[in-house]
Amino acid sequence: MAITNRGRFIVRAEIRSSKDTVISYGFDLTSTSIFVVTEWHAAIGTPVSLRLSFPRILEPIDIAARISDIRIAGEPGEPGGIRLAFDAGAGEVGARLAALLERVNAPIAMSSPEDRPCRVLLVDDSWLIRDMFAYGTAQFFERPGALAVDHAEDAEQAWGKLASSTYDLVIIDYFLPSEDGASLIARLRRDRRLAHTPIVAISVGGRDAREATLSAGADVFVDKPLVFRDLFNTLRMLAERRERARPVADRKAILVFDDSPFALALTRAALESAGFEVAIAEDLSSFERQRMTFDPDLILVDVQMPEAFGDDIASTLRGWHGVQVPIVLVSSLDQCELERRAERAQASGYICKGEGMTELVRRCRELLEVAR
Amino acid sequence: MDDLYAKFLPQFVKLARARVDSALTTVTRRDHAATALIVRELHSLAGEAGLLGLSDVIPLARDGEQKAKQLELSRAEADAGALVSALRRLERAIESIATMDRSSEPPDG
Repeated sequence: MAITNRGRFIVRAEIRSSKDTVISYGFDLTSTSIFVVTEWHAAIGTPVSLRLSFPRILEPIDIAARISDIRIAGEPGEPGGIRLAFDAGAGEVGARLAALLERVNAPIAMSSPEDRPCRVLLVDDSWLIRDMFAYGTAQFFERPGALAVDHAEDAEQAWGKLASSTYDLVIIDYFLPSEDGASLIARLRRDRRLAHTPIVAISVGGRDAREATLSAGADVFVDKPLVFRDLFNTLRMLAERRERARPVADRKAILVFDDSPFALALTRAALESAGFEVAIAEDLSSFERQRMTFDPDLILVDVQMPEAFGDDIASTLRGWHGVQVPIVLVSSLDQCELERRAERAQASGYICKGEGMTELVRRCRELLEVAR
Repeated sequence: MDDLYAKFLPQFVKLARARVDSALTTVTRRDHAATALIVRELHSLAGEAGLLGLSDVIPLARDGEQKAKQLELSRAEADAGALVSALRRLERAIESIATMDRSSEPPDG
């Protein structure tokens, strides 16, 4: 099933005139022009060299263009800038632009439940921005699990998450407590593993924030207030480029979450000898890290744990994160109680620990077979 | 699966002894943190025994867990006594498993 495209695609724009070089962002791209947000302007008709790009979406395209219109900033959400009209006879460039526009304007195809979600880290100390992002995600993406958004309130928290997980895109607010977004971006770019992560910087700081974050290595800067549909449209295109998940039939990966190291060791040993690929987690932090990086086909979660109940974890994974893989509660609770909790949590089922390891392995085989 | 049990049974016995010892030591304290700890230890023990299919241990661990919860509510001496008795029964069951495990080892020489 396809849904109608909503919103525009944000792109990095580098403008070179005879005197100046300006880096900013553009949107409202057509086959003949683009609007670039910038305080820089020159006379109408001034020729410029324009480079458009976006990591993993748009390989750099160099286009000859001219200033065709100038707009002064208006209300919030109406940034000032210039419209650049492309010179006629773009040839191969024109063909590439046309192909990109066809993708941008194509109906959004419903992604498959087997697809790995597009993983985004949002670094912003405003809980309201985070909530708006979460709400917008739910509105824009038809399949809840298409986008997986992680949050960090400051640079250190972000760095901790980046060190332990992999993200398709990082969105960083410039104004952060302690260490600003530009400093965090520069740190990212110096790290060999993270250096090529696409980064979008956001801020109310306007030109100063834009220059600071782009200089630090951000790929794109976007002014607040955010036009979420434009951002999500861009994320949608990024999601299409991510590595697709391996076919379910080829992979039997199980993530086990239990606060008992003994239970984890025993369960892993049993499942691995049965031919499964297994990751274990003993606490919430390692569970969330493993869930994102290991990308399991099945999740087994204990119920009675010190940090959280397993059924609460299961229902949050289902309802908030849109996790589609089977999630099974494993516990020594009374069967009736376990069944009730599993049903309420929308878990895929439950396994009583008292039934032993042979039964646990059998149920895992059964669940993964059903999921195929 | 037999190899798995052979490998993990000694580890279970060691862990179970530690859990029961901890519970017996803690039962004299009677405060919330103490009884909560005992509940957790016995719940974990029940789960670990269940995974190994130790059907004799599971109900004893659960019984101990319930006794600990009762003690948490009542703080009564009688309930403390009942808990200790339950822990002693559990202790004997664990030692019985340890004995069977040792006797299944091949003789020296």
